[in-house]
Amino acid sequence: MNGLCNRRHLSLVLVSAALLAFQIALLQILATSQWHHFAYLVISTALLGFGAAGTILSLGRHWMAARQAQLLPLLLCGCAVTLAGSLGLAQGLFGGFDSFLLFVDIVEVLRLAAVALLLMLPFACGALAIGLIFTVETERISSYYFANMFGSGLGSLLGLAGLSLLRPEQLPPCCGLLALTAAAVLLPGTRRGVRCVVLISLAMVAAFLLQHPELALSQYKDLRRALDLPGARIIAHQPAAAGQVHIVEAPVLRSAAGVSLNWSGKIPKTPAVFINGDMIGSLPLTTGSDNPRDAATFALPYALGSPRRVLVLNAGTGADVAQALDRGADEVVAVEPHKPLVELLRTAAPTNFGRVFTDPRVAWQSIAPRTWLARDRQEYDLIILPSIGGFGGNAGLFALHEQPLLTREALQLAWSKLRPQGLLAVTTWVDYPVRNPLRLLATLVETLQDAGIATPKDRIAAVRSWGTLTFCVKRTPFSTAELAKIRTFAERWAFDPALLPDLHPDERQRYNRLQDDSLFELFEAVFEPGRAQLYRNYAFRIWPVSDDQPFFSQFLRWNRLDMLIGLYGQRTVPFLELGMLVAGLAAVVLSLLATLLILLPLAGLPRGEGRRWKTLLYFGGLGVGYMWTELALIHRFVFYLGQPVYAAALVVAVLLIGSAVGSALTGGFTACRPWRWTAVVAVTLLFYALLLGPLLQTTLSLSLPGRVVLAILVLIPAAVVMGMPFPLGLKLLNQVRRAEVPWAWGVNGCLSVVGAAVATIIAVEVGYSLLLLLAAGAYLLPTVIRLRIS
Amino acid sequence: MHIRRDSTCSALMIALCFVLLPWIGSVAADDDRAGDREAMVKEQIITRGVKDPTTLAAMRAVPRHLFVPASLAPRAYQDRPLPIGYGQTISQPAIVAFMTEIINPGPGRKILEIGTGSGYQAAVLAATGAQVYTIEIIPQLAASAAARLKKLGFGDVAVKTADGYYGWPEQAPFDAIIVTAAAEFIPPPLIEQLAEAGLMIIPVGSPYFVQTLMLVQKQNGKVISNNLMPVRFVPFQRAEE
Repeated sequence: MNGLCNRRHLSLVLVSAALLAFQIALLQILATSQWHHFAYLVISTALLGFGAAGTILSLGRHWMAARQAQLLPLLLCGCAVTLAGSLGLAQGLFGGFDSFLLFVDIVEVLRLAAVALLLMLPFACGALAIGLIFTVETERISSYYFANMFGSGLGSLLGLAGLSLLRPEQLPPCCGLLALTAAAVLLPGTRRGVRCVVLISLAMVAAFLLQHPELALSQYKDLRRALDLPGARIIAHQPAAAGQVHIVEAPVLRSAAGVSLNWSGKIPKTPAVFINGDMIGSLPLTTGSDNPRDAATFALPYALGSPRRVLVLNAGTGADVAQALDRGADEVVAVEPHKPLVELLRTAAPTNFGRVFTDPRVAWQSIAPRTWLARDRQEYDLIILPSIGGFGGNAGLFALHEQPLLTREALQLAWSKLRPQGLLAVTTWVDYPVRNPLRLLATLVETLQDAGIATPKDRIAAVRSWGTLTFCVKRTPFSTAELAKIRTFAERWAFDPALLPDLHPDERQRYNRLQDDSLFELFEAVFEPGRAQLYRNYAFRIWPVSDDQPFFSQFLRWNRLDMLIGLYGQRTVPFLELGMLVAGLAAVVLSLLATLLILLPLAGLPRGEGRRWKTLLYFGGLGVGYMWTELALIHRFVFYLGQPVYAAALVVAVLLIGSAVGSALTGGFTACRPWRWTAVVAVTLLFYALLLGPLLQTTLSLSLPGRVVLAILVLIPAAVVMGMPFPLGLKLLNQVRRAEVPWAWGVNGCLSVVGAAVATIIAVEVGYSLLLLLAAGAYLLPTVIRLRIS
Repeated sequence: MHIRRDSTCSALMIALCFVLLPWIGSVAADDDRAGDREAMVKEQIITRGVKDPTTLAAMRAVPRHLFVPASLAPRAYQDRPLPIGYGQTISQPAIVAFMTEIINPGPGRKILEIGTGSGYQAAVLAATGAQVYTIEIIPQLAASAAARLKKLGFGDVAVKTADGYYGWPEQAPFDAIIVTAAAEFIPPPLIEQLAEAGLMIIPVGSPYFVQTLMLVQKQNGKVISNNLMPVRFVPFQRAEE
């Protein structure tokens, strides 16, 4: 029996690791092949496989428990084969789905649903195996839950390692192999037929491993569109956990973002760079006098002089770095968190384009720019923030992207690092209805006011072309000579000054006329003391964002949705705010499906055992609370550690493994009052909400290894106590209402998924601090209802 | 005298029929959607302020449903862009009408289009009597658009598979240029190939949701851009609540 017990533990570790690694791989696969919102939608739905497993287990628990020895390896084989092959099948059978037509054609919605259901299969099979073990071994739930959580933590690390070494589409068969090993571990004592199934599964997984399908890119992805150009080819590719990098070369690929209509020189042919299929920019050409970037509003800071020391944040492909060098900078600090990107560009960029990565005047720093700003102690003549938006907008694709460089706190930090005559420069594409320029100006004005500047108008200049608008913010007021230089620059390239301390209304639209004067009226309103009224009344969110809600590109106000639909039509308005609307859609769809999965098994549960609502609230609260805590802590530690992907992986791994330890510790506990432990979790999280911010702020100057160690030490207490209530609750349920055990497990799975989907909306609406408090509230819920032996 | 006049008119009508027959015939074959086109013009285009009779006539005449993939033909006259493959879209009818009206096409006007796509915009321009040159970089799209235009009686439209960056210098200058496949910059050769007082129109927005149109004008050697609002404008600011 001990041997079987050990093998089951090992099997649980392996299948849990396989499922989590698959989840991580799937996220990158779908984000590369489709618009990334749909990746979240599909994966969230697929993860409901855990809830579905709970439902199936509730309905067929007697039948399954009686056949557990044969069933477990078979379920794990199903998990292995579907892990290895579901992606290929989704692409082959359904041809994926058309993201654009989702809002037009019901057939595409059905295809999306089919893909999600297909990808749900491995999660459902694996979760059925896990749930079956939990159900039949509830007495030993502490150690089995330990194996489950430990395996998941391991899987998160394996997934990241896999993405760094292999193409993402190669990972699912590897995950399948891991799940198959989990099946093989349980083979002793099974029937011959079961062993045959394992062998057949092995053959199938091996076939998928050798013949994994090429990733089919949606026709709307930038990478696909670039590869459709005549003569296009991928000249370099680098798998990376932070997003795989492609460099594409084509005889017709050119770059000159926002160049003046007066520019009569050549537009250089340049390779383009993509991360997860989205274009991030083009490689800057070797230095020369004929650079079209000098004829774009990006060149505004250089019209005022030649900065010696320049900081480029989110340097990407190095276009701003190259321009700074060309304009005479002695020293450039280029901060780019995607290290594999910089390494690839350094080694694989064509000779003509790689100079900025090897120039001794440039110091490349692989760290999140926000963290760099907080840690750096130097001062600069010019700080360049990454440009915002894109030609033609981005259909709201980045609404849910955190942009920690565009918060009030970030701009305050940048402002404090400017030398006495220093400049802060940021460019945005002009959109209509006006959103990006307005929010940017509001943030700049409030930043200056926070810094004690009484008249921000004296220190902000902006120049507008047909498509872009560049702001320059100066430590000291602009002199008359400097204002003359700006006007000369604008005149030469047919730009219009949009903001100058002495700007005359006649100057604003000489070369680039807008449909109305609203941009300028709104700009004026931003400088007024009563700007809060503008924030309240404008159709979009345009007030400055904070570190707690760093969603700069999220403009949608739910209460103005009807107005936008009336204006643009319900079928096209999603492309104005795609990110937020898909998040809302995901939350609604998942809630409905979860409700169905939770209610369905109730018919099969024995009657006369009331108080199911307590079970629902207890295990649902744990599921929601765990996910909200995880997401709120990831947000905090990404900023602290400065490496977004690895920070997220560290938080997830420590929480899961710490919870595994917590679960193991409950082995000797009696389960009469598990709600006491949920109270402990709630109180712990309250402490985190109060103390974590100041603690991380004061220790930010530590070295990276020091911060990693501190992060682990800080996370462990919460992780350990968060691992206790679930096994204790199941133990208690096993004693009082045994039939509800699989249902409770399914409820936990369903509400974890719904909780994750809703968390994004909560973070956008009220911020991460409140999300952590709400997580504490979710844990407090079971305490309030006081689940105990009746 | 009357007889002679009548017979002259009849002869002219017959001659005109011979001239127009191939085009009318090809369109009439699919004219079961004429009602849809009429509704499209009334409900989506006129209501948004397009009034030019030539443009409206062209929008009524060109069978849009033959320019979209067969599976999307039932949705061809709806108020939205539709995908045509290779990540490209056929613009929503109102945008096509707006762009057509703005550049004032008609007989004797020479127009260059960058980004043929399905060929629908080129067909609408050709239906106004303009001389249309269109360039598509994706060979497959260019070939299918050329075949479609020829089949539907728009064989006078010149279609070229090439990089639109260079324009069509052999045929320059153009009275108007439509850049339906604009990138982050406007190619200098296109501005060069625009005639004095010429107009260049560029839809600005994601291909799935055009927000504005940009009109570039060349006047006395100066290049001026104008942003235009294609949908009926409503204020985005509300009064204090």
